[in-house]
Amino acid sequence: MSGEEEENAAELKIGDEFLKAKCLMNCEVSLILEHKYEQLQQTSDDPTNSVSQVFEKSLQYVKRFSRYKNPDAVRQVRDLLHQIVILTYIRILARYQLAEFELCVLGNLCPETVEEAIAMVPSIKTRGRAQDDEAIEKMLNDLSLIKKFE
Amino acid sequence: MFLKVQLPWNVIIAAESLKPGSLMLQRAILIRLLTDFAAKKATKDMGYFLAVTTLDKIGEGKVRQHTGDVLFPVVFNAVTFKVFKGEVLEGVVHKVLKHGVFLRIGPIENAYLSSSKMPGYVYVLGENPYFMNQKMPKIAKDVVVRVVVIGTKWMEAEREFQALVGLEGDYLGPISAPDM
Repeated sequence: MSGEEEENAAELKIGDEFLKAKCLMNCEVSLILEHKYEQLQQTSDDPTNSVSQVFEKSLQYVKRFSRYKNPDAVRQVRDLLHQIVILTYIRILARYQLAEFELCVLGNLCPETVEEAIAMVPSIKTRGRAQDDEAIEKMLNDLSLIKKFE
Repeated sequence: MFLKVQLPWNVIIAAESLKPGSLMLQRAILIRLLTDFAAKKATKDMGYFLAVTTLDKIGEGKVRQHTGDVLFPVVFNAVTFKVFKGEVLEGVVHKVLKHGVFLRIGPIENAYLSSSKMPGYVYVLGENPYFMNQKMPKIAKDVVVRVVVIGTKWMEAEREFQALVGLEGDYLGPISAPDM
């Protein structure tokens, strides 16, 4: 990637290929890796031996940092946020849209206040989208509701 | 950030493992892909390679002239992990040194948080050394710390990334009660 110096996730400058890529929250990765691990357990005598270090370290990490441990809740979080994005998108017309990257950072860190959310993902306030605090507040509320349901 | 990516690769199957029966061949291609994938570990552009999720397409094999091996173009989906400058992440401290601490963030073993990027913290020597400041919980081994990525470096020889992280920003720092 050229212009590597310019990479700045805080401004959502992460390169076009990654902006378009599907990002995954820790809890989603946890589901995928645990499923893989179970598959390996069935086909191999010693599954710990047949996974790479990268796999093992990542699995440990996502297990520890998964905010939503119930698989249904994981799906709900995604659907809900997408719904909010779509609804807000319609409401504020083309001014508002959440990138996958932003959605996943919020889903992983679970900020409790609007101020914290903006500190974690400054780009939701910039990029000319004029995202208002009320919309962010609502999004965080919905996120925390899901957490309570578990 | 964990990413779901679609990658086109070439898989080489040795001539001697080409046996009749397409199911056996598919299996051989998949096994070879998984082995290559794990061995690759990471690339500068895509980050760390975690797991293959689906094998979407196996193209027509091409025989390589000298060896008789067959090369199959494949397309598959995988999960990768790449850190971006400016990204906020949580990591676990695994080593405390006088000049800073090392954190584990996903597959990244050494994300370095220098004491110069921990404003207000002082190093406290002891059997279990730690960093402390007046307002925040201490930064010690096994503590979860929320950090911002200042820079990353690809180490070609080791095929891994090093990351420099810092606490300069709002809502960054150790997380007192890990609720997970």
